[in-house]
Amino acid sequence: MQPILRRSLYAVILLAGLVWIFASADKTNSETAGRIPAPQKGFLAPEFKLKTSDGQSIALTDYRGKAVLVNVWATWCPPCRAEMPTIEKVYQEYQNQGLVVLGVDSTIQDDPTAIAPFVKQYNITFPILLDINGEASDLYELRSLPTSFFIGRDGVIKEVVVGGPMSEALLRTNIEEIMK
Amino acid sequence: MSILSVFQNLFVPPRDLILIILAAWIGLTLSERRAPRHHVNLDSLSNLLLISLVSFVAGGRVLYALENLAIFAQSPASIFSLDTALFDQWGGLVVAAITAFAYGRRIHLLLWPSLDALTPLFATLAIGIAFSHLASGAAFGKETNVPWAIDQWGASRHPTQIYEIIASILTLALILIQKPTVKPGYEFLLFVALTSASRLVIEGFRGDSTLILGGLRAAQIAAWLILLIALIGLDYQKRLNHEKE
Repeated sequence: MQPILRRSLYAVILLAGLVWIFASADKTNSETAGRIPAPQKGFLAPEFKLKTSDGQSIALTDYRGKAVLVNVWATWCPPCRAEMPTIEKVYQEYQNQGLVVLGVDSTIQDDPTAIAPFVKQYNITFPILLDINGEASDLYELRSLPTSFFIGRDGVIKEVVVGGPMSEALLRTNIEEIMK
Repeated sequence: MSILSVFQNLFVPPRDLILIILAAWIGLTLSERRAPRHHVNLDSLSNLLLISLVSFVAGGRVLYALENLAIFAQSPASIFSLDTALFDQWGGLVVAAITAFAYGRRIHLLLWPSLDALTPLFATLAIGIAFSHLASGAAFGKETNVPWAIDQWGASRHPTQIYEIIASILTLALILIQKPTVKPGYEFLLFVALTSASRLVIEGFRGDSTLILGGLRAAQIAAWLILLIALIGLDYQKRLNHEKE
């Protein structure tokens, strides 16, 4: 290809690129995901209402304005068991600053009779919700246990950690982020 | 259950890392096969890659710890944690690039032929990353009604991860069909140009862009600038080639 033709082609490519940058600009910021609920970073946390083992109803909306960690787990899941003491330890440190931890037992795939001994064994003091019909698991498109959703005071998911056990540093880093 | 759902369940994070490791393995094999045509010593290249990998892992973790110093001071053992989320990817890449450059100079590896030899690895890694985006649902598209839209994160969206996979496969194919007579640096610059051009186009369909200056997408501006540099480089090289002939 002749140099003049080649340079013309490059110029056309660059010009087309500039046109595309302006044509595809999002002037109204309409793509901001925070307005619709989805279990993904940057989206509104989907609402759920579940019961605890003593029959108390707890909804995520009850905690709007607070930093919330939703940890989905099951008693038979080894990484869930491994990270539970760390979550409890960090919860003890941050609860006075307004941190809410909701432990959602994926009861649909768990043995309900094993939950109370589990809570006692790990001295868990944060609320444990029972996802008996898998409603919350479906809403949060649960694909692996444990899965943790770090939700900011504005109700937007700031981070999703799939799998575990989470290290203490990762837990603290994400909590510091949602407490801002 | 759709094929997409089966794929996403199979490679749910952190298992999506398997896709990147698989791509790295294939890419390394391709790079090793093509190293002789660029007159690059295979052992030197392997050593360079090993050192880069170690500095990527160590650099990414140390930088992450430095960014969160107060937290790591409370649990210093976390610096050795197997938790892959405790990692600064971009920081790790910068550390790896600096280390590779310094080590390459020390063992007298020529820069452009080495980059050419490594280009199939870079191109294959891009495919692996695109597949990992598809598995995790990251780098998702904006809402649309096009017939090929996919349901993701509560809306019908452009399948930008699939666009990314197609673009990166085409880029690799174009790299692999290059004749062996091309000048040093050509394959690498071609890869950079094609990758930045595809990012420039695909970013326009993304639903998670960082917006600046009244709605412009930051990644598109960066991609355009990189494309500009790559095209200047390609033109300069063609000119040198022409003068020699």
